[in-house]
Amino acid sequence: MISLLGQDHKKEPKGKGASLPAFFQDLNLDQILKKVTEDWGQEVLTLYHEFPVDEEEQNYRKEVYSDIKEEAIYFAMMDFRRGIREWQRCKERGNKVEDELQKHVWYLREVQCYESALEGLRDALLSSEKASRLKSQGMKGLLGFLTACTNKPDYQEIRKDASQLWKELTDFRILLTYEKERFTLVEGKGTGKYEAFLSECFPGHEKLFRSPFLASDDFSNLEAEILKQFRKKHKDFFVRVEKFHKAAKPYVCDELSELFPEMGYYLSFAQFERKMMERGLTFCTPKTGKAEELSAKGLYDLALAILCAEEGKTIVPNDALLLPEEDFFVLTGPNQGGKTTYARSLGQMVYFAKMGFDVPATAATVPYYKKLWTHFSVEESAETGRGKLMDELVRLKPMMGKDEEGSFIVINELFTTAANFDANVMGKRVLDYFIEHHCKGIYVTHLSDLSKACETVVSLRAGIDEKGRQTYEIQRNEAQELAGANVQVEKYGLTYRQLKERFS
Amino acid sequence: MNVNLLYSYKEWTPVKPYFDWNSMVKDLGLNALFQAAGIDSVTRSSRAVYAEKEDTYLSFVMKRISCVPLETKEEVQYRQEVLADCLRKEEFVGKLYRMTTKTLEDWEKLGRKRNNTGVRDSKAELITDLQVLRLLISSVTSVRKLMLENIEGLQSRGFQSLFARMEEEFSEEALIRVDKVLQDVSFYTDVTVREPKRNVFYSYKPKIVLDCGLTDGLKLSDFRVESIETLEKPYSNPYGIKAKLQGQMNSIAPNVIALYKDQALQEDAAELEFQTISYIYDCCSDVANSLGHFFDQLRFQIAFYLGAINIKYQLQRYHLDYCMPTVGAQESLSFEDLKEVVMSMEQKGKTVGNDGRLDGNMLVIITGANQGGKSTFLRSVGIAQVMMQCGLMVVAKRYKSGLYPNFFTHFTRREDSAMNSGRLDEELKRMNQIVSNLGERSLILLNESFATTTEKEGSAIAYDIIRALKEEGVKILTVTHLLSFAQKVYEEAGASGEADWKGTTFLSAEHLEDGTRTFKILPHAPEMTSFGLELYDEVLTETE
Repeated sequence: MISLLGQDHKKEPKGKGASLPAFFQDLNLDQILKKVTEDWGQEVLTLYHEFPVDEEEQNYRKEVYSDIKEEAIYFAMMDFRRGIREWQRCKERGNKVEDELQKHVWYLREVQCYESALEGLRDALLSSEKASRLKSQGMKGLLGFLTACTNKPDYQEIRKDASQLWKELTDFRILLTYEKERFTLVEGKGTGKYEAFLSECFPGHEKLFRSPFLASDDFSNLEAEILKQFRKKHKDFFVRVEKFHKAAKPYVCDELSELFPEMGYYLSFAQFERKMMERGLTFCTPKTGKAEELSAKGLYDLALAILCAEEGKTIVPNDALLLPEEDFFVLTGPNQGGKTTYARSLGQMVYFAKMGFDVPATAATVPYYKKLWTHFSVEESAETGRGKLMDELVRLKPMMGKDEEGSFIVINELFTTAANFDANVMGKRVLDYFIEHHCKGIYVTHLSDLSKACETVVSLRAGIDEKGRQTYEIQRNEAQELAGANVQVEKYGLTYRQLKERFS
Repeated sequence: MNVNLLYSYKEWTPVKPYFDWNSMVKDLGLNALFQAAGIDSVTRSSRAVYAEKEDTYLSFVMKRISCVPLETKEEVQYRQEVLADCLRKEEFVGKLYRMTTKTLEDWEKLGRKRNNTGVRDSKAELITDLQVLRLLISSVTSVRKLMLENIEGLQSRGFQSLFARMEEEFSEEALIRVDKVLQDVSFYTDVTVREPKRNVFYSYKPKIVLDCGLTDGLKLSDFRVESIETLEKPYSNPYGIKAKLQGQMNSIAPNVIALYKDQALQEDAAELEFQTISYIYDCCSDVANSLGHFFDQLRFQIAFYLGAINIKYQLQRYHLDYCMPTVGAQESLSFEDLKEVVMSMEQKGKTVGNDGRLDGNMLVIITGANQGGKSTFLRSVGIAQVMMQCGLMVVAKRYKSGLYPNFFTHFTRREDSAMNSGRLDEELKRMNQIVSNLGERSLILLNESFATTTEKEGSAIAYDIIRALKEEGVKILTVTHLLSFAQKVYEEAGASGEADWKGTTFLSAEHLEDGTRTFKILPHAPEMTSFGLELYDEVLTETE
């Protein structure tokens, strides 16, 4: 049994109602994933909720994803998905209709849909492999599996018979004359003269004759009447169709069906990424540096970007760099200056990198982190009845467990209700603890002292411009203030020097 | 089908308009011009008679079209040619405009769908579509006829190629074919023949033959129309004895499905009929859309020229000379007896015209007496430029200039110039927007800019900005009271042998020695006074 999620990936049935880690909500991942899996369903969404078990599995997924992103493979997989959906619909519709003969005809269709979906994907993957574009272990496994399924003799036989019968059926033509309150029925093909006249008068456009009866799968009265006459004439054909259905052996490969959600996992993200890139957002495949260096260029908050793209606004991307010898970002700056957004975008990047996907940035290097933890301040919880500080500490506790060493931590405003002195001391202790336990991360705070907590802390500041407005740029160096008599002229970039620069 | 009376190669689209059109309209007072376009007139015994009610659509179109500047000499000439035709054949233009307007109004009455999504779900809508198509076909036939009658006198490429395209796309033959299709399906729109023939009422009945196949779940599909026609049959009572007999005959005949008394079958038949007609209409829909677009555009474009004719009448009414402007080299600007048209119309023609030879002058600094006609002069150039750049005539004996698609006005009105940092801020903000939107071939008219701060500061700001803009190759005409600025430029231009300030010229409102203002703008070095004192004396002395 193969899996696309990991070499020895085992499905661990999760207890129903088990709550998701807090970071899904804190990083707005729930909103993003809702968009991502919009038309993929719960089964696919669940796969987004569990990290790969180790670094090896993370890389396995990354390779599969990089294969699936390839244009040829992506479109082949999407076609496969459509084909399978079509197949499922055929089955459902075949089950729903009451007329026995209709059921048999639906069966012919169903077999054909399945066959063309499977073989289409198989052929596409084969030609990708020949062009040595199929690199991942996972996708190679899938190809082998598909080949095995389609080579079974039973499958081959059924496939042949179905297409023969189908051809005979679609070759029938009927001429229907409507005049004087009655229809007259003649078997045979028309001359096509009037259609030719129409396309001569109105060249260059094929218009579709919408069949009035296709809205319902059941027969309309008119169809029923027509078929009553038609069946009498072609008795043997319909007997053959019936026989075929009744004698058919199973042709479906059940193990393949189990892979559908896993394919959906990659496809949903690839589809989403394409859609977002059309709207002008950038994604990149994160590199895994040798040393523990974390870096990103043009990093942005994906959830915010989706919202802004809908409203036609632009976002301010940022860079990040945490050298191997550095441990933690401490981010300070004005309110509404983009601090939380920055912290979120870092967390999102780590999450998507861990899942094996591309990350929302123009370039990124993300090392392997064991886990991802976030701690965002929330409204006082009425349920627990605890005070806010107590609540924060309780939520902090699991992050400090034994197994959590080497995680990525995102902390947003801790201890806001404590006195300044206390908050400073506690904040420093929290930072020290995580650094000691080989965690990396970002700590957003209004306590500027924390930026000097220890040597491996990197101080970041959200920028403001000379008028005190937020620029949403997060940088290591602090913002400079502007002064001068010609502030107004300078503000609009209209001094002689500024103008010359603008024109150059 | 494209009308292309405004551009030789495309229909009018609102792309690349002037950057801040609303400010330009306000600064140059253009609304009065647009209003003039809406005053329809007819010539009766060689006197123009003006319609009492304005046609606001004409004004609207004039405003819309003049906000997108023409960019090349060819484009300007193309419109000037069409306009020349229109001025020669005013009656034809008026007829064409009324004809298209009537068509569009009739269409509106039939029910014009704003969102044509291509999905039709009711018989009523389908019937409307067919009726609209019939209307458009008959209207285009009349337009074609009108064109044919007048084509001899129309010399412009615009009208000639429009006629040629009409002949190609809506040729007599093509119109007849569409008409035949409409005849075939006429049973759907016209149920009974209204006039009884020999005391018998006739009704239209269909005969449809469809070719179809079988598909998924054994459903009927892949319909093709084998034939369709409308037959004229004597009306008979569907519940009469004749129908009953026919029904019974049908029900025993082989290969026949009778609809008699079977409501479900009748509904299926109606549905099939509806889809068949829909299909046939869809085939014609490109023609319908093309005609719809054609009439929309034709009305819009011809309205522009009718507006221009109306403006001409207003000019004649006040004895204002006008000419077709010439597009010259980029740095050229010269004119004879140029008048500010809006003010001239308001004052019924009693205004002073200016002459000017400013070829090669990329910076024109205008100083001088208050109330001396400086702003009027600046506006006259601005309005002439806008009119020329949309293909209209210009109120002058001669006007020649380059084209400036990037045209900006930065006016500070006197009443605004209270000293107030908020105002300066606003002024600078607008300047900043202008700078951000500069492009090739930019022209800026500055009127009393940066007067909202002290003279010293304002001069410094103006000096910096204008110097940078000039070095960037932007053409600037500025009316200013910032005399330190004007003096400084004047001295530097003289001292540096016109290196830095090459192509700068200074104009001034004429001011006779006895203090009389002639409202003439003449070349003159800037002076340290704007003669406000004299004006003060004049006004106060009079009261004394």
